[in-house]
Amino acid sequence: METITRRKFIQLSSITGTFLIVGCVPGKEEATKVVTGLASQLKGINLNQFISIGTDNSILLFNHRPEMGQGTFQSIPMILAEELEVNIEDIDIHQSEANREVYGSQMVVGSRSIQTEYAKLRLMGATARELLKQAAANRWGINIKDCTAENAVISQTNGESFTYGELVEDAGKLDPPESPPLKDPSAFKIIGQPVWRSDIPLKTNGAAKYGIDISVPGMLHASIERSPVFLGKVLSFNEDEVLAVPGVKHVFKTSRQVYGRTREGVAVLAESYWASIKGRNVLKVEWDNQGLEEINSDTIFNKYRQESKKKGDELFGRGDALSILNSSAGVITAEYETPYQAHVPMEPMNAIVHIEEGRAEFWGSTQNPNGIKSFLSRQYEIDEANIKINYTFMGGGFGRRSMTDVAEEAADLSFKSGKPVKVVWSREDDQTQGPFRAASLNVLRAVVKDDEVKAVEHKVVAQEIRNQTGDSMEAGRQLMGGITTAYLFPNFTVRGVLQKHHVPISYWRAVYHSTNPFAHESFMDELAHATGRDPVEFRLNLLEHPRYRRVLEEAARITNWGEKKEGIGRGIAVVERSGAHFAMVVDVEKKDGGVFPKKITTVLDLGICINPDTVRAQTEGSIVMGLGAFYSGLTIENGAVAEQNFHTYQLLRIDQCPEIETHILESIADPDGAGESGLPTVAPALANAVFDLTGKRIRKLPVDLSVFG
Amino acid sequence: MAIINLTVNGEKKTIEVDPEMPLLWAIRENLGLTGTKFGCGIAQCGSCTVRIDGESVRSCTYPLSAAEGKSIVTIEGLSEDNDHPVQQAWIEEQVPQCGYCQSGQIMNAAIFLEKNPHPTDEEIDQAMSGILCRCGCYTRIKKAVKRASLS
Ligand code: FES
Ligand code: FES
Repeated sequence: METITRRKFIQLSSITGTFLIVGCVPGKEEATKVVTGLASQLKGINLNQFISIGTDNSILLFNHRPEMGQGTFQSIPMILAEELEVNIEDIDIHQSEANREVYGSQMVVGSRSIQTEYAKLRLMGATARELLKQAAANRWGINIKDCTAENAVISQTNGESFTYGELVEDAGKLDPPESPPLKDPSAFKIIGQPVWRSDIPLKTNGAAKYGIDISVPGMLHASIERSPVFLGKVLSFNEDEVLAVPGVKHVFKTSRQVYGRTREGVAVLAESYWASIKGRNVLKVEWDNQGLEEINSDTIFNKYRQESKKKGDELFGRGDALSILNSSAGVITAEYETPYQAHVPMEPMNAIVHIEEGRAEFWGSTQNPNGIKSFLSRQYEIDEANIKINYTFMGGGFGRRSMTDVAEEAADLSFKSGKPVKVVWSREDDQTQGPFRAASLNVLRAVVKDDEVKAVEHKVVAQEIRNQTGDSMEAGRQLMGGITTAYLFPNFTVRGVLQKHHVPISYWRAVYHSTNPFAHESFMDELAHATGRDPVEFRLNLLEHPRYRRVLEEAARITNWGEKKEGIGRGIAVVERSGAHFAMVVDVEKKDGGVFPKKITTVLDLGICINPDTVRAQTEGSIVMGLGAFYSGLTIENGAVAEQNFHTYQLLRIDQCPEIETHILESIADPDGAGESGLPTVAPALANAVFDLTGKRIRKLPVDLSVFG
Repeated sequence: MAIINLTVNGEKKTIEVDPEMPLLWAIRENLGLTGTKFGCGIAQCGSCTVRIDGESVRSCTYPLSAAEGKSIVTIEGLSEDNDHPVQQAWIEEQVPQCGYCQSGQIMNAAIFLEKNPHPTDEEIDQAMSGILCRCGCYTRIKKAVKRASLS
């Protein structure tokens, strides 16, 4: 939609003219009470407006979720437009303000936006439509049942009609219906269509603005040196030499909180980005690294291996797996390792904050605008009403931008300098400072007798995001993400052995679903071979859950699973993430002395799909990210990350990207999360395919497949 | 500080800057053209790609001293109305996700197609392999470059 030339932040108070506003009562996530009225009547009411229809027939739909590439910028308004009966091309999309009191959570994580908002959005769209129909019915003196809504027009059988704009004033005076009828999904015209995204034209001509593109008058640019070993304390720094660099204005010690730990740094504030970098090049900081330089990836994994001998805490249990495993001979055991990974969104982390007496303002790309608002309010004792959060498009997030730490740095430096401060992390900062996707060791054991699996143990040895500090060493359920307990092994235990140390971890796309399924679904393949069964048949024998079965059966059918192809190895994996179930088949072939994925087919059941093209894009992206994490990882050397930038931490490049085919199964169930679909299955399906072709089992990532031929 | 003369998107510009500063920061901060992005600073990601005298250049490692007198085209200058065949193909294939890498992708593709208007799939992969996309839009980029080459 070319009409959107810049993103606007419209608030109710700033709307002039006559508009029918539809929103719902703030904060009421479950029992949504829809509120409607004319803009003039609703002034001063705390209302999370989603729909605004003007007498000029303009239709504004509000998106209250930040956009990082996941496509909710378009798919949230699509849900509103569906029930409202307006043409998606004829509407304007506006980003809502950031306000937890009004909109509830606006955090974009865990592929949740569509899942959690779907019912509420439909209800608001339907309420507006019914009000407009009632207004028309009243004018004509007929029953509302004899009115139909289509393309922003209400008509009656005799052909007479009113546009929505003509009905706005009347509709705004009516009481909203208690439970307006919702459309039958079979009548959906917008939901389920591959509608073009209205943000895309802006992303082809440089017009889309990201946090890093924002400048505010009088701002200073900050570049911050932080301890490579994460927890280092600043002992001293050469302030005078840095201040002598042209353009440098201040040098301050600063800090931020990362999961309960204080992370220190020294910031160089300058007139331009380049001057801040030049100043930083001269900066020398003496750190107290507290002996953390002794730690490296080997010591971490050696410790994990030791710890894996512990019984751990049971996170899921069925039957008595442990006694069978401990009293049987010939236990099948396999250990799988996955490394730390960095999020590295293409837009380096950044934030602008201006702290003034009694007010504050933030500009930047964030997955968590309200988190920043509450932080600023808490830290600087400013009323939330006096804090303005301007959130932009994000150049990727992948979980990293759900944290508020960079805004905390910018706030601290603004507070100290009295100026608006823009903090921009270098790529090296981003890649080496974390927090990271957790490294993990997964140990699996099974007893097979008479070609049947009698008992399985899946033990996860890893740090847990929710429990990184303090004394509690009890593993939590977060650690078991992506382990399919729907497999009906008669005796099955999932256990965690919690690890704690200085490497900071956080949410990374698909979280533990990005590590555990590599082990779990590879081990299922090992067990299929141990029981002499085909991997699909093996899984189907153990699964009653209809959605797992459906995606597996469809994947097998679509890919002609049973058919052997010369020179091609095939692997399969199935996972559930954020309610979405998906099965993936990877075909690999030998080339130039290596083994490479040739084609990746994913079959998804994620309930009603709002925009299949967006879901496909998310799946393609998830696969690319999963492949990158298969080939490359971070290593800790001398307490710090060894890979400094993209020359050593290899993201997937276009020439490594295989053919990708995505099939979305029809469903009328409510939507599940789509943003991480495909990522969890890549590693196991690929490893299983490599085994099929070469007989070599991959149990440690990253791996260089170019030497696997 | 030094005075540097540049032609950017057809307009003559004179800026006073540290000649060691990479061209990227002059484009973004001194000229306010923020469509060209910073991704890595070491010529590894391609987000900062611009056209200089017909070549695809990583502006993050291109010192301003070398840019004196050169004619530079950024994403903002690729077309008047977003109607360059590569931009059109990008829209038709719905390529961007977060969009951050796309200025670099589009500039690189446009420059590549000027030199090789009818590339093979392998040549497309080769030419585009210097531009990273963390969102993983690669299958669509392949299709879009192909589409643009046929238009
Ligand atoms: S910013 Fe120039 S190549 Fe990455
Ligand atoms: S579209 Fe996000 S990095 Fe390419």
